[in-house]
Amino acid sequence: MSGAANPPGSAAPAGAAAAPAPVPEGDDRHGHQASIGLGALMLAAAAATLVDAAGLEGGSALIGAGAFPTVVALLLIAAGAALIVRSLAKLRGAPAVGPALRARLVRLAALIAALVVFAGVLPYAGFTLSSALLFTAAALLLGAPHPWRTAAYGWTLAGLLFLLFDVLIGLSLPGGPWGF
Amino acid sequence: MAEIASLIDGFGAALSPVNLLWALLGVTIGTAVGVLPGIGPALTVALLLPLTFRLDPAASLIMFAGIYYGGMYGGSTTSILLNTPGESASIVSALEGNRMARAGRGAAALAAAAIGSFVAGTLGTVGLTFLAPVVAGIAVDFGPPEYVALMALAFVTVSALLGRSLLKGGASLLIGVTIGLVGIDEQSGDARLSFGLPALLDGIDVVVVVVALFALGETFTRLMRGTGGETVEPVRDRAVLSRSDWRRSWPAWLRGAALGFPIGSLPAGGAEVPTFLSYSAEKRLSKHRSEFGRGAIEGVAGPEAANNAAAAGVLVPLLTIGLPTSATAAVILTAFQSYGLQPGPQLFSESGPLLWTLIASLYIGNVMLLVLNLPLVRMWARLLTIPAYAIYAAVLVFATLGTFASGGTATDLLVLYALGLLALLMRTAGVPVAPAVVGLILGPLLEQELRRALALSQGDPAILVSSPLTITLWVLMLLALALPAVARLVRRDVGAAPAREEGEEAFTRS
Repeated sequence: MSGAANPPGSAAPAGAAAAPAPVPEGDDRHGHQASIGLGALMLAAAAATLVDAAGLEGGSALIGAGAFPTVVALLLIAAGAALIVRSLAKLRGAPAVGPALRARLVRLAALIAALVVFAGVLPYAGFTLSSALLFTAAALLLGAPHPWRTAAYGWTLAGLLFLLFDVLIGLSLPGGPWGF
Repeated sequence: MAEIASLIDGFGAALSPVNLLWALLGVTIGTAVGVLPGIGPALTVALLLPLTFRLDPAASLIMFAGIYYGGMYGGSTTSILLNTPGESASIVSALEGNRMARAGRGAAALAAAAIGSFVAGTLGTVGLTFLAPVVAGIAVDFGPPEYVALMALAFVTVSALLGRSLLKGGASLLIGVTIGLVGIDEQSGDARLSFGLPALLDGIDVVVVVVALFALGETFTRLMRGTGGETVEPVRDRAVLSRSDWRRSWPAWLRGAALGFPIGSLPAGGAEVPTFLSYSAEKRLSKHRSEFGRGAIEGVAGPEAANNAAAAGVLVPLLTIGLPTSATAAVILTAFQSYGLQPGPQLFSESGPLLWTLIASLYIGNVMLLVLNLPLVRMWARLLTIPAYAIYAAVLVFATLGTFASGGTATDLLVLYALGLLALLMRTAGVPVAPAVVGLILGPLLEQELRRALALSQGDPAILVSSPLTITLWVLMLLALALPAVARLVRRDVGAAPAREEGEEAFTRS
């Protein structure tokens, strides 16, 4: 019975947004919108697959390279259409969820931008610097309260990872002009 | 008993001091990563795979076995203390476990889970030791038509059992199969769905897909949804069981293992099922039925044992037939291939010594986890207090590192991000992501066997139903279409599942 317990609630991060809705995932309004989007994406993928399969040599032969993709595409169309139809039917009656969608989409876009920048600069700026910056940006977007402390964590993590993977294990990570 | 002699040789190799060190390192890191909320065994294994790239095959397998079992164990700690099951198979342990933790009995719940994992993991590994060579012996005679039927069966069961509905599970599986089409078709040399991009000619690496669907998907979902409302329950006692806890736990462990291993070793998806079955069995048999829903120790011990025995069971079809039936198994298959091992009936004859070293390491890993976890339970619990923003920012760094290590170009990273966004869309729509991983692996295998079968028969599809075994498997497949209804019945016993039932890191059991 020592007192070294973790205080309850200490894991709840600062900057957390609304608590999860009590409806099962996928059954609120956004869930149905996402289902429709996913269904549309599946239809698009099916179209691309069909076009691609038709362009293959001997594409329509029973056991050619195009046969299996064609079957997959037809199943994609069936499943995608079913998702769309089902969610369209339920969309109207579905409970709405919190309004803050736009702000969150902006945050998501910012995170994606940070990731793309990371992919672009990694070969030139080296693993440690790029990763430290990625950590800092991502943590701040996820609601980290102290920018400078977060940056310090990022540098520590990136440095340790570089030591572990590059120096100890021997995976060669991009070093950048200064070698780390 | 040839198995015992081979196993002793395996222990001989695995027990060298260096290899013990790798095993210890594996279970420690596996547990540490598996404990982090939202990170289940599949992702743990995928994220840590680069760690093992540069070791010799025996050492990588040993460390890998440690990571696998460590990740499993870490996941149960999280579901008990935080009530966010990292995978569908620990949903049930979270039910009673988290109630126990809230009632101040967290330490006992963790001990019941840890010892139960050990007992069932060991029993499951014993089952694997004796069953796997037998199944491999049978599978040697399988021809392409049998493989096609087996995979069709696995497709349906994975779709039906790893999701809330057959449609959503099937949609996920198809998305995975489509991703698996990308790249050069090995039989004809045609490039498919590559859109002229050289980086896509080799196909999309399984590790990249797993990391994208689980790690990026989880991070993006957290960013969009916020992470409020999670409370870590403190661990006050040392992790010991009282006499009455023991008396109530051990039959549950044995029953859980007895349900978990056989169901897990079927060539069908869903080690989630034995955990649900175990929970309802314990609830029916218990003398303390009124405690269920308020923290009954049998309700932790049974499902946790079922989960771990099933995890060993899943290795049977994986090692002997090359058929992964869970996302984790799919990642393990990839890992084996990167070590130069091809799971299948020939594995035992071709790479016997390595394989027995792996099986011996599973036994050793289990013992190490028990020794490590009972005293260290509070340290693992402390990891849960790391704020979510730090965990997910670190996961992103790790995910990009893993992708870069396995692919090595900026295009791989862009593919990773795109698939991460796809995972966000799927999660928001309530579509589970685990079937996609299984589809990604099984799709190309199915196509290969299908084309082999049709080449054998010169295009006559009747070859697919040419033997009693294939007909049986196809009938089972048709029956499996009714599985979601059955699964719902089983689940009804469990009552209201935690609110985030579908989205987690999800549907990854074992």
